[in-house]
Amino acid sequence: MDGFSGILLRITTIAKNTLIESLRQRVLLVLLLFGVGLTVASFYFTQFTFEDEFRFLKDIGSASISITGLLVAMIGAAQLIPAEIERRTIYTVLSKPVGRFEFLLGKYLGLFSLLTIMLVLMSMMFACVLLVKETVEVREVMVQASSGVPSEQQLEMINDIKAQSRDEGVFQALILIWMRLALVAGIAVTLSTMATSTVFIVFTTLVIYFIGHLQATAREVWLEQGTGGVFETSLLAVVSLLIPDFQSYSIIDEILAGNSVSWNYVFEIAGYSVCYAAIILAIGGLIFKEREL
Amino acid sequence: MSKEQKTPAVEVRGMSKRFKLNWRRGVLLALENLDMTVQQGEIFGLLGPNGSGKSTTMKCLLGLVKPTEGSAKILGYDSGSIEARNQVGFLPENPYFPSFLNGYEVLSYYGGLSGITGKKLKERSDELLELVSLKHAAYRPLRTYSKGMLQRIGLAQALLHDPKVLFLDEPTAGVDPIGSRQMRDLMLKLRDEGKTVVFSSHLLEQVEEVSDRVIILHQGLKLCEGTLDELLEVPDAIEIQVDDVDQASEDEIRQVLEKAGIGQVEIRRPRLSLEKFFIKKVVR
Repeated sequence: MDGFSGILLRITTIAKNTLIESLRQRVLLVLLLFGVGLTVASFYFTQFTFEDEFRFLKDIGSASISITGLLVAMIGAAQLIPAEIERRTIYTVLSKPVGRFEFLLGKYLGLFSLLTIMLVLMSMMFACVLLVKETVEVREVMVQASSGVPSEQQLEMINDIKAQSRDEGVFQALILIWMRLALVAGIAVTLSTMATSTVFIVFTTLVIYFIGHLQATAREVWLEQGTGGVFETSLLAVVSLLIPDFQSYSIIDEILAGNSVSWNYVFEIAGYSVCYAAIILAIGGLIFKEREL
Repeated sequence: MSKEQKTPAVEVRGMSKRFKLNWRRGVLLALENLDMTVQQGEIFGLLGPNGSGKSTTMKCLLGLVKPTEGSAKILGYDSGSIEARNQVGFLPENPYFPSFLNGYEVLSYYGGLSGITGKKLKERSDELLELVSLKHAAYRPLRTYSKGMLQRIGLAQALLHDPKVLFLDEPTAGVDPIGSRQMRDLMLKLRDEGKTVVFSSHLLEQVEEVSDRVIILHQGLKLCEGTLDELLEVPDAIEIQVDDVDQASEDEIRQVLEKAGIGQVEIRRPRLSLEKFFIKKVVR
């Protein structure tokens, strides 16, 4: 099988095998802990107003999805290539007519599929918890209603509860969390093409992640307020070129705080994430092509 | 003889490989100016102690590392190129395959990488599982396989895309004598089918049994290369083996040889190798 269909077959074969291997390693058990933790949390906050309770729940849910995803993305990606080299499976794969970039892309897409499955499952659990919370809150309002018919004020309250639990913003936030995971996994996979230590790769990815967060603040202080000299400005230029701006994803917090954001803006950040991940993987491919195994 | 048949299966010219060591600790010389030719249809043994350059030679031929100098070709194609890799199958030393996969699943994975799918993959997998005597264990997870069985499924994956040249790195390492015998029988069978087999081993008796030609490497340098007869024949001496000889006949033979003025005469009872004795006892 030659040409594009051959390339596609090889990439999907590697991606499928990577995904199956991860699933058989029981990575998804982490999700069980996530589900239990979130459910317990949802019924713990009962002494606040329903608006606050929903906000807490959304914050906890999205933070848990983010942290679980980031851990799996970083640790999983850091092991993708080094584990193949250690077990020597890479020799059998690359002695077949498989290009090195095809191998790298297949491994990345396998991990990305795992992250997507995890995110979808966690989001479904999250949605269930929100719906259960909605049912409980609505029932409480109905109990207060005399003769079972809610007053106009109570109807408004029920609508508010439903608006909180079925918030479109949560969906936008989840899409952005998904895109951030894709980018972080891309960075870790690229680092794994040049390093052998998992600890080094995870640590370096974390450093890049934090620098990516801080560069917007540095930009604000050094450029916009004019306090930076030539060195600071040059440093910022280099950092901006090499490291993605993770501060862009702080919009997730804004959305969860109740501020509405247009879908166009969400797609803009998603596009930025995909382009950056593609560029960083292309760099990883060039490094991996030259690597001696 | 067609042009393709004349092309050597493997041709290495002036190949050197030096690895840069970290922290300015210098350079490690893994191979130095290696010339080597393997003809099509040969079983070719790569011999040498640990660190002699056997694995580096194989890795250069597979494109896993790049030679510092020189060139290597597989059936006329530059080693490491996609065209060359279409012609080769590789079994690394102590291969690892995910233990949760079964025999068919391993072959299905490598089939996808080789561009073989569907009915063709199923047929080819059946054929190879039959060849390596693993049909009975095809649906068992690999974690239940013995080391010899893992080597054999490794050989099956190497053969999946029907390559003309096979590289086997220590194919009998850690395998019991029966498994080792099965592997050697397979190598001979593959040669009879027209395949070229290049393999490395520390077990000299096994190499002697199957190889048509060998090369001996030491500290990255080639010490010698040739057929076993060329390398091992003792000049001006002959060996005769006669069955059913009693003591009287033996004395008579000795006297005849001494009368003929032959210098040193050594007459001894032939012995089986321990390996042959073991296999004779165990495999009935």
